[in-house]
Amino acid sequence: MDMLLQFVANGLVSGAFYALSALGLTLIFGLMRVVNFAHGELYMLGGVMGWLATTVLGLNFFAGLALTLAVMGACGWLVDRFLIERVRDQGEEPSILLTIGLSIFLTNTALLLVGTAPLTIEGPLPNKPVFLGPVVLTELRVFAVAACAVLILAAHLVIRHTRLGRAMRATFQDPMAARLAGINTARVYASTFALGTMLAASAGMLLGSIYSTHVSAGGVVSLKAFVVVILGGMGSFAGAIVGGLLLGVAEALWGGYISTGTVDIIGFIIVILTLIFKPYGLFSTQVERA
Amino acid sequence: MKFERNTLLVLGLIALAFPLLVGDQYLLHIGIMVLLYAVLATSLNLIVGYVGEFSLGHTAFLGLGAYTAALLSLRLGLPAWATIPLAGVVSALFGVAIGAITLRLRGPYFVIITLAFAEVLRLIANNWVGFTNGPMGLSGVAQPALLADASPLMAKRFYFYLALALTALALYLAYRFVYSNNGRAAVTVRENRFVAQSVGIRPFVYAMRAFVLGAFLAGLAGGFYAHYITFVGANVFGFAFMVSMIIMVLIGGKGTLIGPLLGALLVTLLTEYLRELQELRLSLFGLIVMGVVLFLPNGLMGFLNHRRERNQSDDTADTATRVQGGPA
Repeated sequence: MDMLLQFVANGLVSGAFYALSALGLTLIFGLMRVVNFAHGELYMLGGVMGWLATTVLGLNFFAGLALTLAVMGACGWLVDRFLIERVRDQGEEPSILLTIGLSIFLTNTALLLVGTAPLTIEGPLPNKPVFLGPVVLTELRVFAVAACAVLILAAHLVIRHTRLGRAMRATFQDPMAARLAGINTARVYASTFALGTMLAASAGMLLGSIYSTHVSAGGVVSLKAFVVVILGGMGSFAGAIVGGLLLGVAEALWGGYISTGTVDIIGFIIVILTLIFKPYGLFSTQVERA
Repeated sequence: MKFERNTLLVLGLIALAFPLLVGDQYLLHIGIMVLLYAVLATSLNLIVGYVGEFSLGHTAFLGLGAYTAALLSLRLGLPAWATIPLAGVVSALFGVAIGAITLRLRGPYFVIITLAFAEVLRLIANNWVGFTNGPMGLSGVAQPALLADASPLMAKRFYFYLALALTALALYLAYRFVYSNNGRAAVTVRENRFVAQSVGIRPFVYAMRAFVLGAFLAGLAGGFYAHYITFVGANVFGFAFMVSMIIMVLIGGKGTLIGPLLGALLVTLLTEYLRELQELRLSLFGLIVMGVVLFLPNGLMGFLNHRRERNQSDDTADTATRVQGGPA
């Protein structure tokens, strides 16, 4: 029984990161309809940038996080303006291929520049254990989960309560009407992509401070983010959070009671079952038009 | 149609003569890999180019074929002439099951669910140690018996002709499929699903036929792979194979029969000759993929067909309305 609570707690911790990175993807994939297979690579670059900022440049964790967010936001903006922009409104296929190409390029270029060694980011708190009843966590994990929550809240506020957020919601409801109302939709798309990239990158850096990050982590992260977005429902904020936590807990339980080697299978089983039985996800906000 | 058939026949004749003119094992090996990839790219092209859905899980069928052939050969001692067709059949059966589930979905959902199936199979192959030998893989798959005392060069030539036979079979089936009512119906569905439905074409049925045929061909290629390489590991389900296949179909031009062949030839040669740039190779691949999507969206064959059609319409402006039967 004690173990059960511990597994659930561990699952919620990793679920918080799944939620954060999936939130980025739900903006890009759910709203913009860009099937972004480079999402995991953006997450990975966040970890690498964080490592560069804290270890090589010697910044403290928070300054490093701010720098990472700024740089990755700019990267996301550029990727959208120079690559995604050119295949917009051509259906999914070009964007799938383009982002697969981008992910191959980013992974292997990062591999050339940084190497295969795991990169550890110095966290802002020591790895001291915290006892919550029968459950043991570390201070760093508690902090990272809190940071995830803050970032998710910040993204929510940006989308709900700023001019840019209003423009985004208008654009994704009806791009033509948004353009007629004087919204520069190209800029909105680029901002959304940048925001999604920043969420992925912050997840990469936070998780890199708990475990470690390495340049080939991207593929698995992309797939799990897709699993969460499909489970939660495309474009749904609540769905990404609940889906992320569900996936985290399911994986922790599977790993704890069944086998650790096949942990990744649970996500794929979830996605197959979701698509068969509830294809619009748990919290879908929009009905798919044919 | 004629242009495509004649080009295919000429390419076939060149390929027939190739092993007789070349006595170098390395070149023959490259030739065999080109043919293997040609089968794979052709089979993927049936789904990407003719169903119009993007499958990222095609390695599932390659892997199923390879594991089937390897297991039948190692556990039951069946010879290669039995295991390779059986590999195709097993893949096709899985194609029926997987297609029945996945073809209900379209667009990004189809992409993700096919990828999920391939990944599930990869994880099973990697973890079910009792059956698939897990991460150690299956080694020592038997070579065909008549190669027992052949020289390495003769063995390579034998494999080359075997691969050529498979490629010819794959192209023959693909050709018959594409230029049958089935293929035309599939193209109609690809171009406009609703028009197709309105004239009585049931999209699911035709997509399913193309999917199962693609699975069958990929399974044959997998079976051949198992006997030729003599080792099968979970990497046959991996994303690396998938990426190569996609790039080949894409660069060559999807929805044409020659395109994937051209793609297989180009990409295999590029991979071999860029070996000196080992480190940079994959980065370059990524850039090439992005470049093709942005600048050559219909691949080389799309580009050439476009040129050809434009020239023809210049030459014979009055007969330009006669459709050349080329793929859309």
